[in-house]
Amino acid sequence: MSDGPVTRLLATARGDAVDDPFRVTGVMMQYYYVCERELWFESRNIEIDRENASVARGTRVDESSYGERTQENLRLGMISPDLLEDGRVVEVKPSSALTEPARMQLSYYLWYLDRVMDVQREGVLAHPTERRREEVSLDEDRREKVESAIRSIHAIVTAERPPEATEKPYCESCAYYDFCWV
Amino acid sequence: MDRNYHIFSDGRIERSEDTVRLETIDGEKKHIPVEHAEAIYLHGQIDYNTRLMSFLNDHGVAVHVFGWNDRYAGSLMPERGQTSGRTVVEQVRAYDDPERRQTIAASFVRGSIHNMRTNVTYYNSRDYDLGRVLEDLDDAVSRIDSTKDISELMGVEATARRAYYRTFDTVLPDSFSFDSREYNPPPNPVNALISFGNSLVYANCVSAIRATALDPAISYLHEPGERRYSLSLDIADLFKPVLTDRLLFRLVNRRQISRDDFRNEVGSCLLNEAGRTTFLKEFEQTLERTVEHPELNRKVSYQYLLRLEAYKLKKHLLTGEPYEPFKRWW
Repeated sequence: MSDGPVTRLLATARGDAVDDPFRVTGVMMQYYYVCERELWFESRNIEIDRENASVARGTRVDESSYGERTQENLRLGMISPDLLEDGRVVEVKPSSALTEPARMQLSYYLWYLDRVMDVQREGVLAHPTERRREEVSLDEDRREKVESAIRSIHAIVTAERPPEATEKPYCESCAYYDFCWV
Repeated sequence: MDRNYHIFSDGRIERSEDTVRLETIDGEKKHIPVEHAEAIYLHGQIDYNTRLMSFLNDHGVAVHVFGWNDRYAGSLMPERGQTSGRTVVEQVRAYDDPERRQTIAASFVRGSIHNMRTNVTYYNSRDYDLGRVLEDLDDAVSRIDSTKDISELMGVEATARRAYYRTFDTVLPDSFSFDSREYNPPPNPVNALISFGNSLVYANCVSAIRATALDPAISYLHEPGERRYSLSLDIADLFKPVLTDRLLFRLVNRRQISRDDFRNEVGSCLLNEAGRTTFLKEFEQTLERTVEHPELNRKVSYQYLLRLEAYKLKKHLLTGEPYEPFKRWW
């Protein structure tokens, strides 16, 4: 399998791909696991402003649960992890409903720190409203999963058309619901 | 969905603490709850300042201004949601491709005629014989696919609308004779009602379009206007039969609107204060009315249907997925 997209992403991160950049943000990684169509929309800045309860909730949990500490908005190239705590990367999510996408978003941060900045870190997935925390580390299996996701993301965001809408259990709480289904 | 507020009196609106205050010229004070406002419609002479505009911008509230003869004069739109270069590029691309433009324009015409037809069918089943009009509308629909350019399509639309307007003299009482559609200025009460209603539909479509980052000046059926928001004209045509015409029939036939609700001037006829108040109240209630949406599996307001129409068009432009025009389904 070609490793083009991963190489290009690394080159973009190092500033070597100005003419042909390929960026993957944490949110894009998460969307890839939630909904490929949403990822395509996100990649093209298609914004739908439907007043949306769960989107609003996500923002509030971010801002309120960890008080002052989140004010330092970490921006590390393409990624902006929620916060670094005792040298660990912490990803805060309102609920554990979509755990795997959040886990992969966090894994991507760890991978990015490792590959782009040569910084090795452990991760923590935190659900403050449920008082649950889960440790995430970058083993070989996760590393491969992240890179394979990067390849798929590249294929999706460079496609002319978005993937077709497919009904998922959480569609109704998505900001793009009306956009997809009318 | 949030509601519209209409101001007819002359006076001043300003930000007052965390709300909007209207002070009329005769000293009356009213508050407009900004949290529940979609847009504010100014029909009178109103002063306002930039502090108010920033405040309304923060709350995503639009302002639509109407001038002489109830004519739409312009809008002040919240900044949010109206900047997307890609959306505008795709909008122009579709306009510039004759085949794509024709397809989109044909959809608008198909939807418009369908919605006219729904009104005619309704009255046809209630003691009026409108079979001839139905035939003319069906004939127009059958010609849509063979039109070769926009002007032919416009011709089909115009023929259909003329046939449709014949319904009005049949359905309305003799004291409200319609004759034909004329505006600038409207010569009689029915034309005055249509003009007023359609200008409200138009302004509501501007709001809906601007909320989606589509450019309201780039249109498909109507020529992109130099001065008008012509995409609003495209979309408004779909909704005029549902929002303006049905309401007009109801208000006149139930005598909620009478000839006393108009003021006649030389060569023109306009609703007076009482008439506008009656019409507007009912118009806003219509916008708030809800209907079960078959695809979304929830109830949506008539007003939200305008927003959905803008979403559908935007989706078509950005994804290439087909655009299905609004066709009244209930």
